[in-house]
Amino acid sequence: MNALALEADAGMLTPRRTVLAYLTEIRFEFMRLLRNPALVAPVMLIPVALYLLFAVVIWGDAVARDRGTAIFFFAAFSVMSVTMPALFSISSSLGMEREMGLMQFKRAQPAPAGSWLVAKIVCGVVFCLLAYLPMLVAAIWAGTLPLDAGQMVSMSLAMMVGAIPFCALGLMMGALVKGSAAPGYANVIYLPGCYLSGLFFPLKESMLGQAHLWPQFYVNQLALQAVGISKPWFVSTQMAIGALLGFTVLFSAVAIWKLARKG
Amino acid sequence: MSNTDSPRLDPQPSSGERLHALDAVRGFALLLGVAFHATLSFLPGIPPGIWSMVDNSPSPLLSDAGFVAHIFRMSLFFFIAGFFARMLYHKLGKRGFWANRALRIGVPLVVGWIILWPIIVAIWSAGMNKFFGGHVPAMPPMPTVPGAFPLTHLWFLYQLLLLYVAVTVVRAFIVPFDRAGRVRCFVDMVVTSSLRLPVAVLLLGIPVALALIAQPMWFYWMSIPTPDGSLIPQVPAMAGFGTAFAFGWLVNRATGALQAIERGWLPNLLLAVAGTAWLMHTMHASPMAQPGLTKTIYALVLGVTIWGWVLGLTGAALRFLSNYSATRRYIADASYWIYLAHLPVVAGLAVWVGQWPVSWMLKYPFILVVSFAVLFGSYHLLVRHSFIGQLLNGRKYPWRKPKLEPVAPQATVAPPAGTDGRGPVAELRAITKKYGTTVALNDVNIDLRPGELLAVLGPNGAGKTTAISLWLGLTEADSGEVTLLGGSPLEIERRRGLGVMMQDVEMYKELRVRELITLASSYYAQPLAVDETLRRAGITALANRPYGKLSGGQKRQTQFAVAICGRPRVLFLDEPSVGLDVQARELLWLNVRLLLAEGCSIVLTTHYLEEAEALATRVAVLARGRVIASGSVPEMRALVARRQISCESKISVDEVRTWPGVIEASRVHTRLNIVAAEAEPMVRRLLAEDPDLRRLEVREAGLAEAFTELTKEAA
Repeated sequence: MNALALEADAGMLTPRRTVLAYLTEIRFEFMRLLRNPALVAPVMLIPVALYLLFAVVIWGDAVARDRGTAIFFFAAFSVMSVTMPALFSISSSLGMEREMGLMQFKRAQPAPAGSWLVAKIVCGVVFCLLAYLPMLVAAIWAGTLPLDAGQMVSMSLAMMVGAIPFCALGLMMGALVKGSAAPGYANVIYLPGCYLSGLFFPLKESMLGQAHLWPQFYVNQLALQAVGISKPWFVSTQMAIGALLGFTVLFSAVAIWKLARKG
Repeated sequence: MSNTDSPRLDPQPSSGERLHALDAVRGFALLLGVAFHATLSFLPGIPPGIWSMVDNSPSPLLSDAGFVAHIFRMSLFFFIAGFFARMLYHKLGKRGFWANRALRIGVPLVVGWIILWPIIVAIWSAGMNKFFGGHVPAMPPMPTVPGAFPLTHLWFLYQLLLLYVAVTVVRAFIVPFDRAGRVRCFVDMVVTSSLRLPVAVLLLGIPVALALIAQPMWFYWMSIPTPDGSLIPQVPAMAGFGTAFAFGWLVNRATGALQAIERGWLPNLLLAVAGTAWLMHTMHASPMAQPGLTKTIYALVLGVTIWGWVLGLTGAALRFLSNYSATRRYIADASYWIYLAHLPVVAGLAVWVGQWPVSWMLKYPFILVVSFAVLFGSYHLLVRHSFIGQLLNGRKYPWRKPKLEPVAPQATVAPPAGTDGRGPVAELRAITKKYGTTVALNDVNIDLRPGELLAVLGPNGAGKTTAISLWLGLTEADSGEVTLLGGSPLEIERRRGLGVMMQDVEMYKELRVRELITLASSYYAQPLAVDETLRRAGITALANRPYGKLSGGQKRQTQFAVAICGRPRVLFLDEPSVGLDVQARELLWLNVRLLLAEGCSIVLTTHYLEEAEALATRVAVLARGRVIASGSVPEMRALVARRQISCESKISVDEVRTWPGVIEASRVHTRLNIVAAEAEPMVRRLLAEDPDLRRLEVREAGLAEAFTELTKEAA
């Protein structure tokens, strides 16, 4: 090792500074999201507005009569509320950053390994929580959520876990397409997934096979099983977690591969 | 590199990054073996005696996890072993190689077996007693196998010795018949091409598949059956692990093979994941192979999957773990000892917890945590600093680290005068880089010396941006070597000494200037205070303004602040003064001079030649991907042997143009302007022809003229 290399090694971050670097990255990523009202407002308002429209105004009687229907509605719109911000905010912001040359610039900087990735995923999950909480408050306020406190916590945890693969999907989209085109491409994946995964209506048996291709399917399964609802065609909790983990690894790997090569 | 199959090498500043990655892979394969053996007591339906204990909380999940790990871990190990074996062979020669292997492999095999075998027998016996409540039934006799010998988990050392013999014999046959090296060059080409295409995973899977198809008794879960019960070489192991070892050897030979493995990491890993999913599905349907099409397909998919994992994991390590890490190095050093010593520890713990009324979800992590604590502890206390470490790793670490001279923060380093006797802080050596058929850089050599400002000049498309990108680790050269602060620019430790101001980069428009600097400062060990950075860059007044609302010049000033906030030892400034007003440009120049005085080395690209003339210690001119000239500013001016002479005179321009030595002549109002090869004869003639001439000025060619002339010639 020569003198230059020794001096370079002397510039290594202490564990404390490394943690600080990750936290700083997360903090500013979050501030960026909050300072972008054009992105924050729709993802926080649309799911809760749709939930109130369908579960309270249109199907209010059915929801009041049947516990299963009430939970089915809440789970469906909750999945929508957590997956939307994860996918759309990350894909468009990352796409824009790539267009601005920021990802190339970040590669040249000595940021700790994967700090931007951690920041994006953490902020994506927190953003999902912010979008999910109004849903939860609205459902409790409207009396359309027949769950005890423990079940609410279980379902909320399932939602947060379910947001992670969508953060990874957002990263992949942002890594592959331009920022301006990202919302369009994201919709091409997101909307069919919402319907074909059986989120909003029970699927016919002939359609169950393809449902396994959509991450929304597993998030919904996880959320329903978290509150004790299970049907014969459901997959096991382990399989739902395994599938979501698999999607996360796949999407993240493609994103990292693309960004590591081109930025 | 270390331990079982490689010499001890210190991290190399230039090529070392490859070795760090492979060292990490080898350590990973060995530690994965510990985790794998810890799963065995939890396998559902495992017969007593196969492992030390049958746990009362079996786990299908651990069975599947163990299966996945077992698919590739030993092939991965033998692949890396082959790579390092060739490196060692060429470093030490045949005799030295065998002496080294005898010590590092032979001695641990013999001594390790003598110590471990009685302990293993005792633990197995304790496990059987515990499982059967003290009444162990008579076991059926083991089938007689030629050369039977309980090698235990040390079989891999014996297998390595067999492979060393095999490769030495093969080499002894090939080398005399291929003195010109044509055959070996052809093999190198095949290796690299198969990795690039990429068909290597398919081709390499065939030998192991054929060997497994021929096996009459094959339990799918075992993948390649381990040859731990006989001294006679076993066909599946020789085919599977022999292919891995031989390919590792060949990859070490073939130029560009490692790069090809690195590029293909993701497709190979995806292939491995898909193959593993199919293998698990098939294995669940029927655990024992039956002769027929399913067995054949299973064997072929297994072969491809093994190589998907081997090349995918190696490529991912080359991509992401190529830098030096003290932690990874420690773990890699420890892994050989840990693997040698782990079996009694893991098996003993399995016996201890085997009948606890607790789920495997608690017992398995418990076994792992306690095992690794004991094994790492024993490595640190008994091995690392003792003769055992010397034997296993070729190095005995002193208990106390040698004291290094403290390195002062860059801002307080005394200003070096030009070169301080050390080598360049950044270097491009024999670099060639192509984009498709376009040659961006062609055999380029540039170095940046400590404390100097190197101006890299050139017309658009000359290769300046490519050169900078190479130094920043944003792109990789097709050939040649890039160094930054004594290592690869891909290493994060090197980039911590780097500041960058790039062209055409926008920063986060939602963040304020202060926040952008705070974020960038968090990446460095000893950054400037944020207020100090703002003050130096002259943007204190902009601190709380959102970046998106700044003018173009203010954005450049902010980018400069971000570039200098980490007290860089090397600073890259790509067109830094574009868009700056006169005052801001003067402040930038002042800052650049201050940084130079502090010992910072700077690479500047600019189209403003007066900027380069004012700041540069040296200049390198690029054109059409080549360095066409380099030297100090006066040296560059001298390359263009011209003088500009100007005076007020009545002599006609047409007459002057006929004089010898005149390159160009023109008149603007009363003023006569002449460009001549030499000034003195021209001045003498002017005074002779017109004694009344006035306001005579003689000026040598500027950098701008030199640049124009040089690039015109190159074009």
